[in-house]
Amino acid sequence: MLKKYDLVAYLYLLPAFVFLGIFAFYPLISTLITSFKSDFQFLTGHYAGLDIRHYAEIFRDPVFLRALGNTCFIAFVCVPATMLIAFVLALGLHALRRTQGLYLTIFYLPQVTNVIAAGLVFSFIFNTHFGLANMVLGWFGFDPVAWISGEGIVGSRARYLEAYARCLFVLFVYTVWDGLSLQVLLFLGGLKNIDRQYLDSAMVDGANRWRLVRHIVLPLLSPTTLFIFVTSVIFSFRAYAHVVAMFGPSYGPPGDNSKMMITLVGYIMDALGDYLEPGAVSRAGAAAVTLVLMVMVVVLLQFTLTKRWVHYR
Amino acid sequence: MGALPVKTARLLRQMLTHAFLSLSAVLVLIPFYWMAGTSLKPSAEVERVPPTLFPGHFRWANYIDAIRQAPLLTYLLNTIIVGIAVAAVGTIITVLSAYAFARMHFPGRQTLFFTVLAMMMIPQEMLIITNFRTIAEFGWMNTWQALIVPFWVNPFNIFLLRQTFMQIPDELYWAAKVEGMGHFRYLTRVMLPLSRSTVAVTVIFTMIWIWQTYAWPNLVTTKDELRLVSNGLQNAFTNSVGTIEYELQMAAAMLVTLPLILLFLLLRKPILSGMIHGGIKG
Repeated sequence: MLKKYDLVAYLYLLPAFVFLGIFAFYPLISTLITSFKSDFQFLTGHYAGLDIRHYAEIFRDPVFLRALGNTCFIAFVCVPATMLIAFVLALGLHALRRTQGLYLTIFYLPQVTNVIAAGLVFSFIFNTHFGLANMVLGWFGFDPVAWISGEGIVGSRARYLEAYARCLFVLFVYTVWDGLSLQVLLFLGGLKNIDRQYLDSAMVDGANRWRLVRHIVLPLLSPTTLFIFVTSVIFSFRAYAHVVAMFGPSYGPPGDNSKMMITLVGYIMDALGDYLEPGAVSRAGAAAVTLVLMVMVVVLLQFTLTKRWVHYR
Repeated sequence: MGALPVKTARLLRQMLTHAFLSLSAVLVLIPFYWMAGTSLKPSAEVERVPPTLFPGHFRWANYIDAIRQAPLLTYLLNTIIVGIAVAAVGTIITVLSAYAFARMHFPGRQTLFFTVLAMMMIPQEMLIITNFRTIAEFGWMNTWQALIVPFWVNPFNIFLLRQTFMQIPDELYWAAKVEGMGHFRYLTRVMLPLSRSTVAVTVIFTMIWIWQTYAWPNLVTTKDELRLVSNGLQNAFTNSVGTIEYELQMAAAMLVTLPLILLFLLLRKPILSGMIHGGIKG
């Protein structure tokens, strides 16, 4: 059969690719090159040479390592925990008929809440004196906890780690609250796609609920699970605005001067903020390239795992 | 196992499910309750230890004070203007490219579509570094263009709309072609009316996106007249301006959050079903 091409398609795609070109393809390559320019000056464009000096610099920078650690905490601790909760919620919701819409509406609310507003609310909930968290702890007879506080951490490693653990907990609670909404919806979508026949025939065979979930639902749901994991991890690599709202523009509790809670994007934004200093923009570039490499590793992992063990119908 | 009669077991399970779901729903709602409650408390009550669960009396004037402390209404208006400007042009760009990918045959279709998909994976923050320079070179610092133009292409929206377009059977196109319809008329007369709800969803997603965006506007605007809600809220109500008045901070947070929540509640059906059904198929 003779196939006629619709060459007018290029005209339809032109606007999208013009703007992608200016604001996505060009910056992608330009940032990659900038990250190798040593002592790059933002205003004049001058640089000393091309090398990996700024990569070496950031990987020796304790603030960058902290940013890497915190970002990985969100991606590989908070995200899996959120997924577990979201999966159980979706299983529960899947069995419901009439009230499902109401629950979904409630669970979706964090998505449409301004990220700064949400961060400020969480920061206030975990306020040492006036916060809700300590009030609830008080009901059960516990002493108030100084959740977001860096008192006495400067000289003491142990105090620092304790303060850090408390702040990580606050970040964890926020991340679960914020991440649940999309994940519940996506898991529910995956569950709805599973053919009822599989479940019914297994029920007839006398499988109990746990075995049903373990041996039928989970394997059939694995493409959805993998998709949710990969998108949530990639999304969480970008954590920034809510961290600023919760812990302030210096990324730490009051009394901290180490940028305790900084994330990768926070590191990029800070380096970019120092753009007048030679080399700062290259450091931002090197951090950004690291971020993209992390995304690529996760995507490659997805491709490999999809081939290996994901069950497609 | 097997100790309980089947009916009792099922009833027990249903009760547990409901208990778990409603407990989770309450936990999700708590921040909203705390925000709303605090926004109505008088200043003296906010600083009471332990705090009160319910405001002693409602002080609505907190909202007026919050608006006096910072031009919140300007921030809201700016965000709506930017959102509409991004959605207006962005939707045209999305519809045209989604149609080309869904319905047209041309050399390089796979490659170009894969490029768009790959852009979904690239964090915007990676691009900010160079875009900052580009905007400066265009002389666009502190302008509306800087807040609007870089958001015009949204790969996720292109992907979502393409999925919907592909579900419309090809037979419709062949029939339209027999009637002498070209691509553009087919797109505007047949495809778009059939995909109304997905187009609406992409517009809403654009609105949510602009409402949440923080890093980019913070970089390219320094003037108060051009601030969007996220930046305005962070700059005017945190301890950079001295002691925090929590009741005003929470009132401002409410003002910034409510419009988007109301929009969502009005349009929740297409949004939720768009996410459930359009999420991952294909």
